[in-house]
Amino acid sequence: MKAHRLGALIVKESRELIRDPVTVALAVIMPLIMLFLFGYAVNLDVEQVAVGIYDLDNTPASRDLTARFDSSRYFQLEQKTTDLRDLESALQSSTISMGVVIPAGFARQLLRGDEAPVQVIVDGGYPVLGRLASAYAEAVIANFPAPRQSAVRVQARVWFNPSLRSVNFVIPGLFAVILMAFPPLLTALAIVREKETGTIEQIYASPVTSTEFVVGKLVPYGLVAFLEILMVMVVGFAWFQVPIAGSPILLLTSAFVYVLTTVGIGLLVSSLVRTQLAAMLITLIVTLMPSFLFSGFLFPLFTMPLALQLYSWLFPAGYFMEISRGIVLKSAGLEAVLPNLMMLIVYTVLVFVFAAWRMKQKVA
Amino acid sequence: MSSPEPIVAKGLGRQFADNVVIEPLDVSVDRGQRVGIVGADGAGKTTLLQMLAGILDPTEGECRVLGFDTRRGAKQIAARIGYMSQGFTLYDRLSVKENLRFAARIRDVPDELYRERSERLLTMSGLGRFTDRPAAKLSGGMRKKLSLCTNLVHEPELLILDEPGLGVDPLSRRHLWAMLDRFRAQGLTMVVATSYMDEAELCDRILLLEQGRVLADGSLEELLRPAAGRVFTVNAGNTGRGLRELSGILAHIESVHSVQWLPDHLRLVMNADIAENQLAELLPAGTHLAAAEPRLEDLFVLRTEKRTGEQQFPELARQDRGKEEGLVATGLSVRFGHFKAVDRVSFEAPSGELLALLGPNGAGKTTLIRALCGLVAIDEGSARVAGVSSGGGSTALRRQIGYMSQRFSLYLELTPWENLRFFANAYGLAGGAARAAIDWAREVTGLTDIPDKLTGDLSSALRQRLALACSLLHRPRVLFLDEPTSGVDPVARYRFWRVIRELAASGMTVLVTTHYLEEAAYCDRLALMLDGRLLAHGSRSSLNHSLGLEADATVETLFTAAIEQAGTANSRALGP
Repeated sequence: MKAHRLGALIVKESRELIRDPVTVALAVIMPLIMLFLFGYAVNLDVEQVAVGIYDLDNTPASRDLTARFDSSRYFQLEQKTTDLRDLESALQSSTISMGVVIPAGFARQLLRGDEAPVQVIVDGGYPVLGRLASAYAEAVIANFPAPRQSAVRVQARVWFNPSLRSVNFVIPGLFAVILMAFPPLLTALAIVREKETGTIEQIYASPVTSTEFVVGKLVPYGLVAFLEILMVMVVGFAWFQVPIAGSPILLLTSAFVYVLTTVGIGLLVSSLVRTQLAAMLITLIVTLMPSFLFSGFLFPLFTMPLALQLYSWLFPAGYFMEISRGIVLKSAGLEAVLPNLMMLIVYTVLVFVFAAWRMKQKVA
Repeated sequence: MSSPEPIVAKGLGRQFADNVVIEPLDVSVDRGQRVGIVGADGAGKTTLLQMLAGILDPTEGECRVLGFDTRRGAKQIAARIGYMSQGFTLYDRLSVKENLRFAARIRDVPDELYRERSERLLTMSGLGRFTDRPAAKLSGGMRKKLSLCTNLVHEPELLILDEPGLGVDPLSRRHLWAMLDRFRAQGLTMVVATSYMDEAELCDRILLLEQGRVLADGSLEELLRPAAGRVFTVNAGNTGRGLRELSGILAHIESVHSVQWLPDHLRLVMNADIAENQLAELLPAGTHLAAAEPRLEDLFVLRTEKRTGEQQFPELARQDRGKEEGLVATGLSVRFGHFKAVDRVSFEAPSGELLALLGPNGAGKTTLIRALCGLVAIDEGSARVAGVSSGGGSTALRRQIGYMSQRFSLYLELTPWENLRFFANAYGLAGGAARAAIDWAREVTGLTDIPDKLTGDLSSALRQRLALACSLLHRPRVLFLDEPTSGVDPVARYRFWRVIRELAASGMTVLVTTHYLEEAAYCDRLALMLDGRLLAHGSRSSLNHSLGLEADATVETLFTAAIEQAGTANSRALGP
């Protein structure tokens, strides 16, 4: 590797990149669009579940229970009916996700001190919602008319994300997904474009080595990716008001290692294929898709079958997902993130060695 | 190592999968020699050059370049040679200076040497004034010159050039060769692939390549020797006979190997030596016979066994449609953003005329055709095709025109028959009418027995005829042919032009674009285009006359003179 050749490649690549305003704009705007879309759309908090109440009792007590549902932030009273068919059709048409049936004699039984059964019908079509809604409903009903006494008292305390805001969990996860989606896409086109235009033949027919060529691409695209990190993080923390518990420097450093990996994947794809279209499709398939499914972004990895868990280790997104959430939510220090960070470093080195090796120095 | 030979190849061959592109060949090039590699598209020129440059490994044999093996010593070779590939070798977003500096640095040229050499190269190439201009905004000719500079900045011992003149206007091409001559004087060894005769003539030695085989190797005179005394031109003279009748007579003469149809004469290649007066005796009295200079194309023709250009041709009913039925363009302009692809072009082509639209790549030929066909919007001016206005792309217009595009737009996954069927149906022909149209088009184009293969598996010559047949099905009044002969061997080209001439003779107006300037010889009139503008328009002899050239000046010379007359190509190509 000779410094002047590498320098020439980096300067050339940077100039081409800077003079391509469309690409630069896409590199900046696309991650932000994704951050906003997913930051708002991926909301795992269950709030304002639409409830319909079929009140056969129609007493102050039953109206009081109805009011309890209405005033809870987890529920929103959508329908009050005296016809069971209304409740049924509302559940079918998804106007409500939960129905509460208060039978006749509810108030009387309560006064007597008997068991007063209330039926809760939950739309199980979306299981997570159904499970949470029925648990919340049980809590509302259990505390009616007054909290019951029990011998054992549970005092649950939530660590790391005490408000249980899902956005605090989604945003640091999105960092892993976004940095896996866009930097490689940009870089994947970098080498292939030279193949398509034919300029690569000049590189082949010059003393430039494949390592120099690959590193010459990596540096400028790595810098663009680093800008993407900064932007996504500043907007993520400031706009969505996600508190960062750990060290921002450690997060930034790990993110930098991570984008080297993802940029490297882009270069690897680019060195293997011949057309820009193929480069884009393959990059999307090997980066974006697994980074959603196999990184633990939304679906915890430990619930997957073992084979898929093993498969998920192939994708670096999972390692950074843990680092990112660890630092942001749990204030994890270097010691805690080191194993994952090491994995990323090893991954990066492997990807580069492979890309430089696969990057042919000849037409065929 | 006392200056090893520039190139020594032993049994050098290359195949891609089952396809043998270069059959094993032995070749060696001496220091200071300029070797031209000549052959039709697909002959294997680029593959051979890539192997010599060390960027493509041979599948057979070995090659030493400047003493290094091309397999193992590719990088040592790369540092010592210049290789200019056919396509784009520049970074569009970098300026002239940045491109040159990049080329110098990746080739390990020290800064002080770079400064000195770049100045010299830029001055020599005439690029000195444009050092800060992005490569994308250079004309085709200037791009080639800059590419050449980037390959000379490290002062290579060997320069390999793949079709340097392709798509470049004749004046720029002349400049390019002037630069090459200066380096040759300094002892630079060169290997140049070319399809231009005049470029081949500038070489010390020519390798004639056909389908991966070396057909001949030697100086131009040596190469042409087998064809010497075998080439003649004939015209009807004062016999009052047509060329068609004349060719009928020639068909009975055993020793005629091929007949090439030109506007006012036939060009014959004989398969045996024959004295001029002997041949004259076989022809009707009064025919005008003259011996002609052999060309490299004649060698290809002599290699083929069958008599060519003599296919049975159906008599086409002559339909005189009057002058207004041809092509008329008045002040026609097409803009793409700020770029004027076609700039105020006016010309007329009466019914039955065969007009050649000539110009380098990017001159605006294809855009002009597309505007006439109503495929791109006309921004200024107007055009009428067969009496129908071109604006708007109406169905009435489409019924009058046939269009054969550059890449022969056929469906490669269909058989030829299915292609013909599809295009017949697309033109609204069905059932018996479609069958009749297909039969007629096949007869005209000589596609009587088409192989039952997928179109993609046909040779390019067959595909070319099929594309022509498809564009003729609805018997258009005006036929547009965009680069119809690229990638087709000379023999197939002779036949193709014969068909085109017959079609024109039947009253069809034919507009052909080509960057093979020699092919202009087949056409009645020429239209020369450069940078979107029509430089000149008229018959070859009248153009030669008006530009003060000799009557038999080549189209090259004619084009160069037209550019010079219109002002220097460069200053205009660069715009304001």
